[in-house]
Amino acid sequence: MRRIEALGVLADLTSRHPVVATCAATSRELASVKDGDNHLYLLDAMGLVGSVATGLALSVNPSAPKVVGIEGDGSLLMNPNVLPTGGYLAPGNLILVLLDNGVYGSTGALPTYSSKVDLQRLAAAAGWTTRSAETTEGLRAAFGELLTVREPAFLYARIEEGNAPGTEKLLIDPVSITGRFTRWLREAHAAEVAA
Amino acid sequence: MAYAEAVAEGIWAAGVARVGYIPSVTVAPVINALVASDGGANGVSPRVTPLSREEEAIGVMGAVAFTGRLGAVVMQDNGFGNALTALTTFTLSYHLPLLVFANTRGGLGEYNSMIHSISQPVPALLRAVGLPVVELDRRSGAEDWRDTVQEAGVQAVMTYRPVVVLGSFWNTDGKVA
Repeated sequence: MRRIEALGVLADLTSRHPVVATCAATSRELASVKDGDNHLYLLDAMGLVGSVATGLALSVNPSAPKVVGIEGDGSLLMNPNVLPTGGYLAPGNLILVLLDNGVYGSTGALPTYSSKVDLQRLAAAAGWTTRSAETTEGLRAAFGELLTVREPAFLYARIEEGNAPGTEKLLIDPVSITGRFTRWLREAHAAEVAA
Repeated sequence: MAYAEAVAEGIWAAGVARVGYIPSVTVAPVINALVASDGGANGVSPRVTPLSREEEAIGVMGAVAFTGRLGAVVMQDNGFGNALTALTTFTLSYHLPLLVFANTRGGLGEYNSMIHSISQPVPALLRAVGLPVVELDRRSGAEDWRDTVQEAGVQAVMTYRPVVVLGSFWNTDGKVA
């Protein structure tokens, strides 16, 4: 499974969910597959997806569609505190999807630790309910299962190395992302609860 | 009113919805006051939670602003080295209000021989990246600390950015280190 294929599945499954996406190739490819006001692209701040998604999950109405973070293995390893913090605070409305290609995909494809360190087991040890997937069909099924759990959920997805060629850079003013994402949370996401 | 209680009162009076903290012996009384006033115990209450590192605290509490409310971080100033990238590329760049209260180290009353290496330049570091910094010390009373913390939170909301309050507890009723 290529990253852009995984992102295609996730974009399709998350139109009602707040989505926090990690920087560089992941955000670019997600935006190229499907852009949306529910997407919070972290254009820099590598490693912060899990923290921001946790903060959001704690702050939105827990009955509204779950907060989804899309993270890479290199980025998670920059801030692995995300795992024990999420396990400790335990928001039941949080799904963290880890797209693991084994390398720092946006910065020269140098290897991460993930070939030797089992990030899914780390998440499970910290208290997350986990599933894994290696295909787009498996990703879709695992995501559906994790929508039903009451603990913080971690979806480990193994993807191929490499970025989608020709994907345009995201040259958006972060303030515009804040404006549209905040408005979407207020007008669309919160309305899911009222409905 | 003790200085620590004043800080806690100021945080709530600013309309803060949620507080994350990274402990130090100096801010422990602030955290205890926050937790007690929020109906909790042992460092945890419905709106007050521990976090493991300053960088993630900026991420977790900065995200509160997307829901139209204000988050706060209580920490020690030697953690700003950990937090600087998150403060700049996340909260500052995305125009997210956030109230940060940090006790200072490395100055009067310090026993540690190296902590001044990070703590002394912190105000200049923060100002260099465009973060507003308000400094408090023994020269004003607890009521002034409370009002200043409260107004710093109001200013964060008004200006859509983090505002940092640095408090030196030396020669107050608090403990430096």
